[in-house]
Amino acid sequence: MTVLGAAAPTTGLPSGLPDDLAAAALVLARRLHAGGTLWCASPSWPHHAQHVAVEFVHPVIVGKPALPAVALAEHDLIATARAHVRSGDVVLVIGTAGDAVARDLVRRAAVWGAGTVWIGAGERPQAGAADHVLWLPDDEMAAHDGRFILLYHLLWELAHVCLEHGGLLEPEPDCDGPVCITCSDEGRLAEVLRTTGSTARVRTPEGEEDVDLSLVGPAEAHDLLVVHAGMAITRLAVTA
Amino acid sequence: MSSFLYPMLGTGLSDPQALLADLARSADAKAQESARARRSALAALEPALDAAAAGMADAFAAGGRLFCFGNGGSATDAAGLAALFSSPATGRSLPARSLAADPAVLTALANDVGVEVVFARQLLAHGRSGDIAVGLSTSGGSANVLRALVEGRRVGMLTVGLAGYGGGAMGSCPDLQHCLAVESQSVHRTQESQSAVAHDLWQRVQSRLEGQESE
Repeated sequence: MTVLGAAAPTTGLPSGLPDDLAAAALVLARRLHAGGTLWCASPSWPHHAQHVAVEFVHPVIVGKPALPAVALAEHDLIATARAHVRSGDVVLVIGTAGDAVARDLVRRAAVWGAGTVWIGAGERPQAGAADHVLWLPDDEMAAHDGRFILLYHLLWELAHVCLEHGGLLEPEPDCDGPVCITCSDEGRLAEVLRTTGSTARVRTPEGEEDVDLSLVGPAEAHDLLVVHAGMAITRLAVTA
Repeated sequence: MSSFLYPMLGTGLSDPQALLADLARSADAKAQESARARRSALAALEPALDAAAAGMADAFAAGGRLFCFGNGGSATDAAGLAALFSSPATGRSLPARSLAADPAVLTALANDVGVEVVFARQLLAHGRSGDIAVGLSTSGGSANVLRALVEGRRVGMLTVGLAGYGGGAMGSCPDLQHCLAVESQSVHRTQESQSAVAHDLWQRVQSRLEGQESE
């Protein structure tokens, strides 16, 4: 085994990452400004989630406002997150692309109406896995040598800059106009809360609604479905 | 809602794209500063890191255990250091744990005695001659960290400190045997450098233990 020799990098961030960080910081600032909470989770490195939360709750720079951020305990992480995360929150996950719990949490957080930020290193998650993917592609040692810490320090710093620009904190205007749901081929993710016969009560970013299960067959609580015009049309494989 | 009637009001006064471009430039500049700070910390501390790693490897080889501690972000970094030593992806698993991990112990000590003893009292209970105490403090001046280092030395533990600001009070603590101090004046850059120093320390301990095994 050779562990020596991984020298600290001499350059800044990988191409594209500064822009990804800036975009994530603006969305995070907007959601915190609107009353959202930042939920932090790291199945493999819970200390990183705790470090992010303490940065926001108790800033090291005097005068910066304390903001609501919480590290989710790694025990039964998905169930705990399900109980806490509300539409308008942000869920920040730190983990590799191969971390099944991280992947499941990011996907479900979107169903719960939370914005998602995924920090990691090594092989990148598939495109669109989270709203904001902040990735160090080359080296998984980033979790241990200060570079993950750098990424969330920067996210914190940039979010506070955004919070000082009140005119930019209003949410982006919605782009959805009066479009027929059936004709628009809409397909939305939903998480099953409970079922009654061939009907399921589901949770979506917009709230709770009832959907018909005739096409997908029986479903159980916590299943993920794709719904279209009041019908569940596909069941997603559960990864964790 | 006013934005329905006056969609430009409040949002049209500033340009998000200009801010985002500024933020991206700032992030990259700070990342370069962080990389420089980490690189120069490792270079400046090389002899000290080598000496600390030698002492720690000998202590582990003789059955010693590692206790790490710090406050706030340094508490989480201490937990990361403990996890790196105890359950690394590659290399030997070594007995290491964070003294900030158990809220029952922390709150009992903080409530009944005071926050200044939350780490020292745990070393009083657990520490033995031949064990290792690693304290982290970005200012170098955290009273409960310094107190634990003093207690650790008193019971015969090897004492190692990670500090910023050139060491602060840690730099002049007579009970601290290995002071790994970085020079950065920013808490954030200090924590990033400390993490690089901790990682380098772990690599050196692993290499030394591997060398001892193959002898």
